[in-house]
Amino acid sequence: MEKVRVLLVDDEPSFTRMLKLNLEKRGFTVMVENNGAYAYTVAQDFMPDFIFLDVIMPDVDGGEVAAKLRRDPNFKDTPIVFLTAGVSREATKAKGNIIGGQQYLAKPVTVDEVVATIEKVMKKKTKATPASPRG
Amino acid sequence: MPPERLHELSEIYPGVARGGVIDQFETVRIRRDGVHIEVSLSIMPIRDRNGRVTSALIIMRDITAAQLALQEAAQSSEKLSDRERMLKRALVALRESHERAKSAQLQLVQAAKLESIGRLAAGVAHEVKNPLAVILFAVDYLAESIPNPDGNIQVALTDAREAVGRADSVIRGLLDFSTATELSPSEQDVNKLVRRSLQLVRHSLTKSHVFAVEEMEEGLPSAMLDRNKIEQVFVNLMINAIDAMPTGGTLIVRTRRDRLTVMGSDVGVRKTDRFQVGQSVIVVEVEDTGTGIDETARPRLFDPFFTTKPPGKGTGLGLAVCKTIVALHGGTIRIGNKEGGGGARATVVLHGIRSKEGQSDGEGAGPTRR
Ligand SMILES: Nc1ncnc2c1ncn2[C@@H]1O[C@H](COP(=O)(O)OP(=O)(O)OP(=O)(O)O)[C@@H](O)[C@H]1O
Ligand SMILES: [Mg+2]
Repeated sequence: MEKVRVLLVDDEPSFTRMLKLNLEKRGFTVMVENNGAYAYTVAQDFMPDFIFLDVIMPDVDGGEVAAKLRRDPNFKDTPIVFLTAGVSREATKAKGNIIGGQQYLAKPVTVDEVVATIEKVMKKKTKATPASPRG
Repeated sequence: MPPERLHELSEIYPGVARGGVIDQFETVRIRRDGVHIEVSLSIMPIRDRNGRVTSALIIMRDITAAQLALQEAAQSSEKLSDRERMLKRALVALRESHERAKSAQLQLVQAAKLESIGRLAAGVAHEVKNPLAVILFAVDYLAESIPNPDGNIQVALTDAREAVGRADSVIRGLLDFSTATELSPSEQDVNKLVRRSLQLVRHSLTKSHVFAVEEMEEGLPSAMLDRNKIEQVFVNLMINAIDAMPTGGTLIVRTRRDRLTVMGSDVGVRKTDRFQVGQSVIVVEVEDTGTGIDETARPRLFDPFFTTKPPGKGTGLGLAVCKTIVALHGGTIRIGNKEGGGGARATVVLHGIRSKEGQSDGEGAGPTRR
């Protein structure tokens, strides 16, 4: 089975670096982007199976990135999970729902939780759309 | 010349007769109208051509007015110092009121601070949670990368993980406090919430050898409550009680229905009063057999960040959160020492809903204890 490709978009390099190390150790293929404005371009290039999006970023926030991705048929169904260090879980959820993000994770989070989230969402997706472009 | 001054004649004039001069001798004389006046005497002998003193030139100046002026001057200088004293007093008063103004300003600043805690919390959360996340990932990575970690390495990793958890819970407390503003209330059974809260603190109870006693009145009216938030209140109060009994003790959780008959600070007859006379309320008490509350701490108990616990143990947000939540429910909370001493008691008063089966508010008057 091909490795699951995970795109991490977060403005904090140390955060993405650490998460990348961990996910690679657990067998994922990981691409990192620290600038929300480039996230879409990188996604087009990398074609991820799964995207983690930081909610609060300086230039373009996670919500905007997600909206842009969703407008592209290529990423219409790509699972997006928001990562938030912010206050209002409710607000995050609401925003995530509107733009189609399935779930959010509140920082700090353990690697186990991150991996569990990926696996859960991927499983659901495989069930829902068996003819997924990537296996 | 006043009789008591007659002696001056023998004192002054012989000298003048011998050719002496008297210069501005101050004494008292009687005016023609009988009034005593103060005078200044200057006497100069007048000689004949042989040089013998034959007569004298006497200049007598009425100095009463001058003297008066002098006295007045003296008095007014006293008055001046009086005024100076008054000024000084005014200055002190001014300084005091300035101090008071300053402390009022301080309170205002504090209030403003409180208001901005929400915004602050958001900022702090973002700035702190990210680094915490990095640390946690790093710890996870190390834990998986070190082939055969010895005991010390495991302790280090566990400690680091726990430290992250602790810092995270402080931030969460801050967020709870700042986002406690929105309620999603639903009809709740208070006893059920109290029991659930007791379940949540079960670990702390056993760890501290605290025995829990339930004194719950059954058949309480239900209440419109935000379950999670009210549970948070009960848990905070229970944890405080447990913390006050480090060597064990008894935690008593009591619920009862009460009818307000006495006017208290928050009970009245006006519609605007938080609770009105005759209204039926639900009272929840959390009591301990612990250290009790220090009198000096009393006025600050509900202040955010006020804690007497060591760093890492308490954030001082527990009661602040409780107060905000209870107030949002239109209830009241107070905490004090038990009448006989030997522990503290927190009392939460909440509104009950009028039960459907019948204006029961009218029938079973007063609480029925079990
Ligand atoms: N049952 C009690 N007995 C004695 N002192 C108490 C009791 N409850 C509260 N206090 C005092 O009130 C202080 C403030 O309580 P509060 O719950 O606001 O903060 P905390 O318990 O110190 O920290 P946190 O709840 O954030 O962990 C406590 O530090 C303690 O001194
Ligand atoms: Mg507390």
